[in-house]
Amino acid sequence: MHVNTRGRRAAAVGAVVTAGALVLGACGSSGSADTNATTGASDTTGASAAAGTQTKIAAIIKGLDNPFFQTMEQGINDQAKAAGVPVTVQAANSITDTTGQADKLNGLAGQDFSCYVVNPISGTNLIQGLARLSVLNKTVVNIDSPVDATAAKSANVKLATYIGTDNVQAGKMAGARMTELVPAGGDLAVVGGIAGDVTSAARVEGFQQGIGPKLKVVQTVAANWDRQTALTAATDVMRANPNLAGFFVANDDMGLGVARAIANSGKTGKIKVISVDGIKDALEAVKAGTLDGTVAQYPYAIGLMGVEACQAAATGKPLPPDVKAPVELVSKDTADKALAATPKPFGAYDDPFKTLIQ
Amino acid sequence: MANATLAAPEHEAWSTKLKDVGFWAEWAALVGLVVLVIVFQVLNPTFLSAGNIASMLVAAAILIILSVGQTFVVATAGIDLSIASTMTLGAVAFGQSYAAGWGLPLSCLMAVVASGLVGVANGVIIARGKITDFIVTLGTLSAASGLALILADGKPVTIIDPALLSLSTGGIGIFGWSVIIAFVVAVVAHAALFHTRFGTHLLATGGAPESATAMGISTQRIKIAVYTISGVLAGLGAILLVARIGAAEPAANTAFLLNSVAAVVLGGVSLFGGRGTIVGPVIGALLLIALVNGLTLLGVSQFYQPLAVGIVVVLAALLTRFQR
Repeated sequence: MHVNTRGRRAAAVGAVVTAGALVLGACGSSGSADTNATTGASDTTGASAAAGTQTKIAAIIKGLDNPFFQTMEQGINDQAKAAGVPVTVQAANSITDTTGQADKLNGLAGQDFSCYVVNPISGTNLIQGLARLSVLNKTVVNIDSPVDATAAKSANVKLATYIGTDNVQAGKMAGARMTELVPAGGDLAVVGGIAGDVTSAARVEGFQQGIGPKLKVVQTVAANWDRQTALTAATDVMRANPNLAGFFVANDDMGLGVARAIANSGKTGKIKVISVDGIKDALEAVKAGTLDGTVAQYPYAIGLMGVEACQAAATGKPLPPDVKAPVELVSKDTADKALAATPKPFGAYDDPFKTLIQ
Repeated sequence: MANATLAAPEHEAWSTKLKDVGFWAEWAALVGLVVLVIVFQVLNPTFLSAGNIASMLVAAAILIILSVGQTFVVATAGIDLSIASTMTLGAVAFGQSYAAGWGLPLSCLMAVVASGLVGVANGVIIARGKITDFIVTLGTLSAASGLALILADGKPVTIIDPALLSLSTGGIGIFGWSVIIAFVVAVVAHAALFHTRFGTHLLATGGAPESATAMGISTQRIKIAVYTISGVLAGLGAILLVARIGAAEPAANTAFLLNSVAAVVLGGVSLFGGRGTIVGPVIGALLLIALVNGLTLLGVSQFYQPLAVGIVVVLAALLTRFQR
């Protein structure tokens, strides 16, 4: 089976035939990745020969209906191909499909993969499958969303390492940038994701820290990670607060909706918008000036480092327990550079796994 | 619109009507809307400013169109659970056609055709296959959103088109083009439902299917027709959605499904079919939008908003129990 594309299509078909998804998820077997990998990534060639024979990776990520996770999948596939390691990528049907994702992990857990890269939808939804993997002594690399530490401990789940972005840090960078764009004392509004969402809350918390006492958040609304909802909410918020000077938006998709609302009311440039994620459309909007900045997180780098961690684990060296993936602020000056490099980070970043697998 | 129902109530004195709980139940949405408007206006004077009314109307346009489509289906005692994902599929069909350089008119047509086909499929399977509406549309809900993801490969398409932009931002006075389109749809739907033979047959199909069949009405054809209407209107909604957000996104927006059903219930349309109005669901849609808008203007915490919406919908459903 040609896993890389096949696994994706399987996920898409899964949405059509819900019942069939389970079966497909379980059958998405491995074996397509190019074993005679070229020296595309020169820094990994040394390990590829050794790792290629032992390491066999399964990755379970969140819904592929979201560009963020599509880019993550691309990072996983690119690194696996460069290193000559076979990989199978399975994704949940959607960002809320917690049980479906657990079923897919359980399906893959019974197969002969040596390393599992997991990005759980919630802190606990994959615990059962992960416990089984730990009993079988498989390497588990946790990326992006952390597995709940207490739950992991009580279920005896052993995680080799965690690679993720610090959402609080991302919010902080956005807040610091906002203090540069908006004069002190200005009123700000925050557009969050689904009310109660952890990622959204962390980004907003970071933003509050970043702006410090200089600026004031007068209203916080939830727009369910949806562009249309954000557009409507931002229009209402601007109406309620005529002196509003800026918006912090918890993701780019909603940020583009807010930018649209500002443009509709003829206030482009007067009201600043900063969002988080760094998707391509947002980078282009930053370049065009409709968005005043985006804090780019790099799912590509997260996926890539996840595969590197599996390779590093195969060498038997100890892994660093907690690795931060790169976060960069993209403003109008750096938009071109970021666009040219996307989906990879445009600046240099710290990657401890690179040295381990050399 | 008192003659809107099958059993047209006789002309009673207004005083007796006001004492009748059935009268209030019939107009639950309007009463709710008026109460909400008064409360919000007292608490925040910007609520009834021309600008805010304009933005509420624009925000309501898509929901009004979907609710009208849903009303046709519910009036035959059916339900279209696939309406929101059908719209998503329409939006994706629009996006893919536009990205392929087919131009705006053809892209709009593709949106309507794609969504319309889902509607036809719903109708044919329900009518000819004699399967419960609920199950069939639950299936197409999943199928349409899956097709949308496959077609779009999961990626949103950004669409910047001057004509679409003016559709979403321009208008006459406080009425944006999109809301004018929505009102035109509502007027046409009202005429179709209450001033044509098709409309009479439709309400008969919903109210008394056996008698309708006995009278020689093809209930199967009516079923296919209402789901096609629902699909086509979802396609129209898709065009407005793409115009509004400037992108065709494959991610399903389930809020539209729930709100379209809520608007229909708020509008006093019987879920058992046979009776209903078009103006009711339109007011129901406006009420739902006004509720969220007002709560946002007042700065009510995001956690309380879903609670408020839920309470309003359940209260309205309770009121409909007292309908005659």
